[in-house]
Amino acid sequence: MRSIGSAAAAGVAAVALAVVGAVAVLAVWRSGGAGFDVAWLPSWGARLAFRLDGLGALYGLLATGIGVATFTYATAYLPRHLEHEERPQAEGGRFHALMALFMVAMVGLATAQDLLLLFVFWDLTAIASYLLIGYDRQRREARLSALMALLVTGVSAVLLLIGLLVLRAEFGTTSIPALLERAQGGGAVTLAGALIAVGALAKSAQVPLHFWLPRAMAAPTPVSAYLHSAAMVAAGVFMLSRLHPLLATSRPLLDGLLVVGLVSMAVGGLLALGADHLKRLLAYSTIAQYGYVVTMLGVGGASGAAAACFYVLAHALAKSALFMTSGAVTEATGGKALSEVGGLARAMPALAVGSGLAAAGLAALPLTIGFFKDELFFKAAAERGTWLAVLAVASAALTFAYITRFWTGIFLGDLRRPVRALPGRLVVPVVVLGGLVLAGGLVVAPFAALSEAAAQVTAAAPVAVAAAYHLDFRAENVMALAAYALGLVLVAGRPALAGVLAGFARLGRRAGPERAYVAGLAALNRLSNAIHDVELRDLRTRVVAVLVPAGALVGVGVAVTPFEGAYLVGSFSRGDLPLVVALAACALAALVVTRLRRHLALALGLSGVGFSLAVAYELLGAPDVALIAVVIETLFMLLFVAVFALLPRAVLRRESRLAVAGTRRFRDPVVGVISGVLVLLVVWAALSRPTPTDASADRQLELAGAAHGKDVVTVILADFRGLDTLVEVTVVVVALLGVAALLRRGKLW
Amino acid sequence: MVARLLLVPVLMVAAAFLIKGYLDVGDGFGAGVIAALGVLLQYLAFGRAAVERVLPVRHAPKLAVGGLLVALAVAFVPALGGRAPLEHAPAPGAEVIHLGSLELLTAVAFDVGVFALVLGMVVATIHLIASTVDERGERP
Repeated sequence: MRSIGSAAAAGVAAVALAVVGAVAVLAVWRSGGAGFDVAWLPSWGARLAFRLDGLGALYGLLATGIGVATFTYATAYLPRHLEHEERPQAEGGRFHALMALFMVAMVGLATAQDLLLLFVFWDLTAIASYLLIGYDRQRREARLSALMALLVTGVSAVLLLIGLLVLRAEFGTTSIPALLERAQGGGAVTLAGALIAVGALAKSAQVPLHFWLPRAMAAPTPVSAYLHSAAMVAAGVFMLSRLHPLLATSRPLLDGLLVVGLVSMAVGGLLALGADHLKRLLAYSTIAQYGYVVTMLGVGGASGAAAACFYVLAHALAKSALFMTSGAVTEATGGKALSEVGGLARAMPALAVGSGLAAAGLAALPLTIGFFKDELFFKAAAERGTWLAVLAVASAALTFAYITRFWTGIFLGDLRRPVRALPGRLVVPVVVLGGLVLAGGLVVAPFAALSEAAAQVTAAAPVAVAAAYHLDFRAENVMALAAYALGLVLVAGRPALAGVLAGFARLGRRAGPERAYVAGLAALNRLSNAIHDVELRDLRTRVVAVLVPAGALVGVGVAVTPFEGAYLVGSFSRGDLPLVVALAACALAALVVTRLRRHLALALGLSGVGFSLAVAYELLGAPDVALIAVVIETLFMLLFVAVFALLPRAVLRRESRLAVAGTRRFRDPVVGVISGVLVLLVVWAALSRPTPTDASADRQLELAGAAHGKDVVTVILADFRGLDTLVEVTVVVVALLGVAALLRRGKLW
Repeated sequence: MVARLLLVPVLMVAAAFLIKGYLDVGDGFGAGVIAALGVLLQYLAFGRAAVERVLPVRHAPKLAVGGLLVALAVAFVPALGGRAPLEHAPAPGAEVIHLGSLELLTAVAFDVGVFALVLGMVVATIHLIASTVDERGERP
């Protein structure tokens, strides 16, 4: 019982966090925005700079506000989901924590004012999304989908990072406000913009990097309702909006966005019209809807920015509600596709009304917030040109058609399956979001103000979001009417088009970019296996694989370094005798090791090398190093012996008698001797030319007193290079975890 | 018997290396390894079961993590006050409290963290290996 309680508590905590976040974002934005800015990586000029401006407020409110709705939904959905999957209820806590992590990452992304911070939060969202999509980790499909989402968005994120670094190199700052102030066109900026755009478009699931999104529908429904409506996919267009003033310096770049957006609108819309699976239909719709936003960002200017920002807001409200509807319907009936459900309006009236409002919003009917999103969209499109206006009407008609089909398919017609009662928390969030869609259609001012503030940041200029009803025959209204009419025709004519749509979907599967992804992944796997075979066949081959390239590099270094004065034979006094003896013992032990066959003898021989070296350190006046060498050698020898005790004696005996295979018999000694000789040459040359008085060593000796120490080695470890030590000891703990994982399946004791 | 007698002196030596580390040869890392060697000697002499009955070695993982936390705290608590990470107190030139050859410095606390971490890590590793050997039973 206790574990059920803790998972539920995690869910409640996530909801509370989202509520607090939403209220905080709203309050801070209403009071004019705020932020803070502290040094982070001074040597990089990177700062922990956050600021809640208009754009940050829009995306921050989406992340937290939609978060409240979806997290509430998840508290009811997840226990049922875990029950279906036959998993313990306690695993729910992880889910809620990951959702909350995602929300935090989104808010961080929305408010970050530094390029490096932007990237850090960007990748954090990718990691959280990977874990969330693959939440049903016992399912192969979920794991593959999570990996696909991670690879597509992660590999493109590397391009994004390169783009950000190009910007840093070009303008000498990572601060976004300073960057936008200095924004001016140029080859480097265009290149950076293109790289950033690729990363952003992959995140927003735009063609041709859209294929991960339908696959990601393997995730539990709250993940789709959150990540794939308002958060993860929104991050892409957010990035484009945040850096839009830079992108806008290059007309070809904006035209590229326009083309990608239009193609995504068409591809997503057509796939959605043909789709049967509920969630996948919505995923295709998301591709198309973010296509609208990308198109608007490509149009640019005041009207483009206004339309893009308002569109993101309106779409997120509606789409999130529709995703939750699909999850509720599947929970109630078990049906996952349009062909499996129907006639639910009578059985689930509240859900029907809530999702009906959301669907009306997406279809841009009057009295919903969606009407204004299309109004602004049509206005911006018409300003750009007639051809774009025509395409806009066509894709609005597609949206109208597939969303009508979605809603009527679920709620009208004949009841096909028995309906189970649902807990209120699976329905209320849908109704609330549907209510917001309606409220936005009646009183648009607050929503317009929010997107106006965001659009001003995007366009870096004053923007007015002029959303209002006009009862006249202006272009927007005519285009809306045309879209409805065309949409109705599409709905009516869809049965005739079914073959064409199915063919389009089949073409996408056969020759689409997903094929390239799968083939690329398989090729990478083959390459990796091939390298693995060469390098890791056995320990000796592995050592050779390290020594040969390293030896080649050292050899080149030796060859190009002038020989003059490099290999001096110094003088030899009687006082050096003990040192020479110690080193000779070391060399002798090393030679003996090469001839030994028994494992225990090998371990002893190796520690002989170590102990002789420790003596040499002591003689050279480095007692700290000598001490460590002695204790470490002792420890290692004992651990060696302990590990031998783990191996069956017969295996050890067989291994020690094994003849070395023919080619390796010559290869190993030759490689060893050559690399040894090269190391000798390098060390010899280095010692022949002592560096002209190492100033830093003297300085450290001098400073040791100021740090209250007399043993300079310890002072260096604990003070001067303390951060290095810190990282190293952290690695020690990680190594312990590794040992535990290998020997005891992760149990530490 | 000798092994049992040796444990306390070994730990003493380790403690000395740790405490005197800032003034003389030795530091937390070396002290940790020496102390761990003392424990390892007990394992070799008496076997795992006897040692784990007598000595409080089962806290080794906690010791390792605790040491890491101490080191991290010393490193990053100054950062909360707006100073550089690992900025040690007392500052250069300031007065230091001496207890014999022990200086009360945050740098020494850092070293103690390293000591605890190394000791815990090595003892835990010894335990992991030893218990795996025990589990597999007598070898053929």
